[in-house]
Amino acid sequence: MTLRKTPLVVAGSAALLALSACSGGDQKAAAGGPITVEATDTACTVSATTANAGNLSFEVTNKGTKVTEFYLYAQGDRIMGEVENIAPGLTRKLTIEVPDAGTYQTACKPGMSGDGIRGAFTVTGGAGRKTDTNTQLADATKSYATYVASQSDALLTETQKFADAVKSGNVADAKARYAPTRTYYERIEPVAEKFGELDPAIDVREADLEEGQQFTGFHRLEKDLWVTGLQPDSGQIADKLVTDVTTLVNQAKTIQLSALDLANGAKGLLDEVATGKITGEEETFSHTDLWDFQANLDGSKAAIQSLRPVLQERDPQLVSEVDIQVKNVQTLLDKQRSGDGFKYYTELTQDQIREFASAVDALGEPLSKVAEVVAQ
Amino acid sequence: MLFSSLLIGLREGLEAALVVSILVAFLVRTDRRSALRWVWPGIAAAVVLSVGVGAVLTFTTAQLSFEQQELLGGSLSIVAVGFVTAMIFWMRKASKSIAAELRGKMDNALAIGPLAVLLLSFLAVGREGLETAVFFYAAVQSAQGGTTEPLIGFAVGIAVAIALAYGLYRGAIRFNLGKFFTITGVLLVFVAAGVLGYGLHDLQEAGFLPGLHTLAFDASAAIPETSWYGALLKGIFNYSQQTTVLQAVAWVAYVAIVLPLFLRRPAVKTTPVVAGTKE
Repeated sequence: MTLRKTPLVVAGSAALLALSACSGGDQKAAAGGPITVEATDTACTVSATTANAGNLSFEVTNKGTKVTEFYLYAQGDRIMGEVENIAPGLTRKLTIEVPDAGTYQTACKPGMSGDGIRGAFTVTGGAGRKTDTNTQLADATKSYATYVASQSDALLTETQKFADAVKSGNVADAKARYAPTRTYYERIEPVAEKFGELDPAIDVREADLEEGQQFTGFHRLEKDLWVTGLQPDSGQIADKLVTDVTTLVNQAKTIQLSALDLANGAKGLLDEVATGKITGEEETFSHTDLWDFQANLDGSKAAIQSLRPVLQERDPQLVSEVDIQVKNVQTLLDKQRSGDGFKYYTELTQDQIREFASAVDALGEPLSKVAEVVAQ
Repeated sequence: MLFSSLLIGLREGLEAALVVSILVAFLVRTDRRSALRWVWPGIAAAVVLSVGVGAVLTFTTAQLSFEQQELLGGSLSIVAVGFVTAMIFWMRKASKSIAAELRGKMDNALAIGPLAVLLLSFLAVGREGLETAVFFYAAVQSAQGGTTEPLIGFAVGIAVAIALAYGLYRGAIRFNLGKFFTITGVLLVFVAAGVLGYGLHDLQEAGFLPGLHTLAFDASAAIPETSWYGALLKGIFNYSQQTTVLQAVAWVAYVAIVLPLFLRRPAVKTTPVVAGTKE
């Protein structure tokens, strides 16, 4: 058949295709793929009841005997999206753009009638939270404070055990405990650094000692354990370490951090790695630098995680960038794992160190913009 | 499982098949077979377009927002009402000329352009075509996933719709011409009223028109859309089990205005039996 379409039909087709093409929009990949909905004659099981604002994808499967419909309603039963004619056995997809945070309702309508089987659905982030940005920032600091508290508790417990091992002269046990214990400290280092004299007392390196400053803390014990053997005053140093850490932990729990502190902390931790850890100067006696490295990355990730809702709203591009670079650094670290921990720094080749350095620099790039975004 | 998919196919296919079959019957009865060659391109264009856009929506990340979808469906419906209404009056004119024993002299009265025939066919099929196409793809994907029943049911439903429409066509061309015009005309009035109500309902769903939850009646229990008779009613007259006040008012107003206009000074002596109302 010769299909002599009239210009009008052609124009109509073109317009429709263009419409469907341009409204594709930028697909913000929902974490974990589409939300699945299992509809039966009596139930409507939605795999997730919360989602971030943006394009939500639903995949509705009808496992009942009646034809069903699926709706997403906003307040007052305003229809955000619907898919009709879901015959039994059929799976149909529905993508809905939901720009605003708020409370929504999902509904399956077996038999395509009535109000349907409703379920609450919460959408977070998005433009709807614009006015609420202070709450978001407060949530971020609250969530990070929880992280700091959990790490501090572990730090105190582990430091106590480490000190006990030193005092009982059990060198092997103390050596084994050294790096894992420091992990908790390194994770919250930006917070520790806020306490003036405490940080140097706990974490000073021998090379950085100032005139007349006593060499105390972790690194002093590190030297004793790995280089000189335990000294007569090692026990006192260990006791002092526990006292200092206890003071730090108590202060850390009461400190009021701002979102900006989190952002700067995330960046600070990475700078730590870039300037100190990557050179192998931090753990110059034990060579457990990669443990610190991992801990710094953990702390940085935790701060970003707390800030995520704010960042996601203000600069989603930046969040993806950070995520990608974090993953890169983590991949490199994972390659160097050995047993419960890592290889010693001295076992790394120059090439591997260079690789680390460039991955860390690449992560520092987007991290340095985080503070700016938070300060907006 | 199979049956409910069959009903969906029947419902989606029936209205288009019905309008097309009346159009074809009309052209055949009035010896305007030359215009027939415009019917198929109109149908083909609508099918190709629906299948094409359906594929884009199914297999790419492109999507129509709910508003766009309903706006498209709603506006197409209302345009279709315009066309069907024009067709009703065009038939009335034709039937008058026939009553006036002007057979063979109908060309003036029937000065319908090929374009109109083509567009009417296009609209009749294209109006629900997109939803039908997307449903079809979903059925195909389910079939690949091991559940072929929806696909088979749907195909059978479409086939039944076409068979019914063909039956109507065969029956219709057996009527005497005056009766044919009257009956099909009245039928089309109700079809168009239903399309109008349906289109307005779409616009209500999209939030362009208010009153989505202000129902005139809810016959979900008495005549469910999922029953075979409900599906037939929906397919032919766009009956909806939950009819909003706006929908009902528009339907009544359309019928109240167009039906008397169509039937005044009836061309045939027999007063036609007016089909019962929807409910």
